Amino acid sequence: MTSAELEHAGAAAGHTGGQGIVDYLTTTDHKKIGLLYLFTGVGFFLIAGALSMLMRAELTAPGLQFMDEATYNQLFTMHGTGMIFFFASPVFFGFANYFLPLQIGAPDVAFPRLNALTYWLALSGGLIAFSGFFVGGAAAFGWTGYAPLSSVIFSPNTGTNLWIVGLIFSGTSGILGAVNFLATVFSMRAPGMRMFRLPIFTWNVLVTSLLVMLTFPVLTSALVMLFLDRTVGAHFFDPAAGGSAILWQHLFWFFGHPEVYILILPFFGIVTEIIPVFSRKPVFGYRAFVFATLLIGVLSYSVWAHHMFATGVVDNLFFAITSMMIAIPTGVKFFNWIATMFRGRLRFDTPMLFCIGFLFMFLVGGLTGPFLASPAIDYAVTDTYFVVAHFHYVLVGGSVMAAFAGFYFWMPKMTGRMLDERLGRWHFWLMMIGMNVSYFPMHVLGLEGMPRRVANYPASAGWTTLNVVITIGSVILAISVLVFGWNLVRSIFMGRGAVAGDDPWEGYSLEWATTSPPPHHNFTHLPPIRSERPVFDARMAARATPDAEAPRG
Amino acid sequence: MPRHQRRHGRRAVPLLVGTLAAALLAGCTVSPATQEAQRVQGLYNLFLISAAGVFVVVAGLIGWNILRYRARPDDTGLPTQTHSNIALELTWWALPTLLVIVLFAISAVVLNTNDAQTADPGLRVKVEGFQWQWRFTYTDADVVVTGTRSQEPELVLPVGEVVDFQLVSDDVIHSFFIPHFLVKRDLIPGVDNHLQLTIDEAGTYSGQCAEFCGLYHDEMRFTVRAVSRADFDAWLAAQPRSAP
Repeated sequence: MTSAELEHAGAAAGHTGGQGIVDYLTTTDHKKIGLLYLFTGVGFFLIAGALSMLMRAELTAPGLQFMDEATYNQLFTMHGTGMIFFFASPVFFGFANYFLPLQIGAPDVAFPRLNALTYWLALSGGLIAFSGFFVGGAAAFGWTGYAPLSSVIFSPNTGTNLWIVGLIFSGTSGILGAVNFLATVFSMRAPGMRMFRLPIFTWNVLVTSLLVMLTFPVLTSALVMLFLDRTVGAHFFDPAAGGSAILWQHLFWFFGHPEVYILILPFFGIVTEIIPVFSRKPVFGYRAFVFATLLIGVLSYSVWAHHMFATGVVDNLFFAITSMMIAIPTGVKFFNWIATMFRGRLRFDTPMLFCIGFLFMFLVGGLTGPFLASPAIDYAVTDTYFVVAHFHYVLVGGSVMAAFAGFYFWMPKMTGRMLDERLGRWHFWLMMIGMNVSYFPMHVLGLEGMPRRVANYPASAGWTTLNVVITIGSVILAISVLVFGWNLVRSIFMGRGAVAGDDPWEGYSLEWATTSPPPHHNFTHLPPIRSERPVFDARMAARATPDAEAPRG
Repeated sequence: MPRHQRRHGRRAVPLLVGTLAAALLAGCTVSPATQEAQRVQGLYNLFLISAAGVFVVVAGLIGWNILRYRARPDDTGLPTQTHSNIALELTWWALPTLLVIVLFAISAVVLNTNDAQTADPGLRVKVEGFQWQWRFTYTDADVVVTGTRSQEPELVLPVGEVVDFQLVSDDVIHSFFIPHFLVKRDLIPGVDNHLQLTIDEAGTYSGQCAEFCGLYHDEMRFTVRAVSRADFDAWLAAQPRSAP
């Protein structure tokens, strides 16, 4: 079937459906829930990003300028909490919600009502956690909530309880969402969509969901224990009463390190969708890629205590080798991405530009990882700005870059309109410059001994110049986000973007076989699924291009 | 410019960026002041060289592909649809594996050397962290130095001998961190932690709590003054004795 026929069929099906606010409040359509998730994620990105700008303002000079420690400590706590739990996770759930059913040729997720509940729990969790700012101060002990600092004695404020309850909501939401995605992949694939024909994004959502399902219950349980400690005196984490402060760290990081992969694997998936399409080749080493993802998933359960090397109470060498081993499947992915581009016909539209940016940024973030996995080096640089640099390269240079790649790639599918390429290129270059100017000097500050989570540093430390540079970088970064915002408003909301059509990028996976946006239950017809690139196969069959090799069956 | 020269020039860009970044990162570490810190510095340099090498290769490959395989406006057909190549893929599973084995083995040696503890140190100091200052107790001499918000404490230590720090806390978790010693170790309520090191260079070094410990965490600073054993003994003798 040609795309023109599909378009006609989609239009005939009256695909848009209701669009009002009430419709979004009551919807169980995976696509609308996906959009709600993405909006929520972007909203919290702006809030948590604004908090970081306030922190940068304070750190531009030694001493205290604009705020006291009490304020600063809330800012970095809620910046981290917001970015990790209420930006990155919802963006993953948003893209997965929207595209996982489409990519496997399903009409919706397995449990649409549960899906709606999942979203509203996630939103409530974010609002509850952030509401601390309005009741005398939000949580102020870092996103890691270490015991006993998070106990009722050392953090007696209501904001801390709200933080805990908000994260319990978010954790519960995550578990339910993961179950839903797993059930959808295992039971709702279209005929012919075998496991080894799943698009890589769907594979990565599958592995991510397994990680979520096995680690979020640990976090949620630990949070309930902390809540009991604070409210009814349970003493789980109170060393004075026979509890253990270290127990919290074990439970938190048993969740927390897989969480890092939860925040990166879906974005690896996005990049792995985009690079082949814009190289006009299939992904190189599909099976190796899937196995590498599975291996990262399995290894991620055995690395948590590398966050605890400096505690002196864990088996550092064991966690060193498991952590370093993560570099192997990650390296393989890099080679697969490169080999996918090799001898391709590369087009550099904005989705691909952001993927290239992702490759360079994540490479830097990935290469500082082994430093932190080697305990003797970690003793020197942990809890300094070196670590801050590392995870900003990984999570902003990696996940956020890839998320923007996803926005440019899939916004046409979700809205029917293209984002503006020229504004997109401005966004990209400003963002690359802003991130590097902001994050690279953090390595140096960390090596010079500047600890993280301080509002103040002495002028005599010699850290002032680099802090000024970092602040300038963060302003450039903020401007790049504003450019994206303007692009979104102009192209989508004001409707000035070009009409996308069904398949603006000549994509491979099934979301490109339906209209933009897709009709209520996604497909009126499906092309035959005989490889991991059904839409490519259909296009080839339609064109019967003589100089192309026959697609593998 | 001839084509091969131009391509060579392009490949040099990531090389240049990588080398510059590595030089910057290597040049900016603090000078290590203990025997342990010198081993850490050596290990760090090894990791840095490896990382710079990997960066140059990988970034170079990405950059080369971008430039070499850019689609031209007249390209309408498809490139060869390569799906996989087992030999190539086995190679790139093997390469990072080898690198990881080497880096781990050397890391393990350095870690075991640095973490090895003697039962007979030259000096024992009990380091107590509390919100938001430090108390240093010279256990064998009944000398106590306590910091206050207005006056950071000074930790005077002898060079050239093993110093044992007993690290304890009664409130929340703190971390004993001296950047020039390239080490930190946590003070955890309910845990008796020890850190041993041998200072090489006499001098004054700043130290700071590295584990966020509440409101005035940023003020939890101290100074280390490393002096000769004779000067240390003289200093210790001049200190007031605390009540037993």
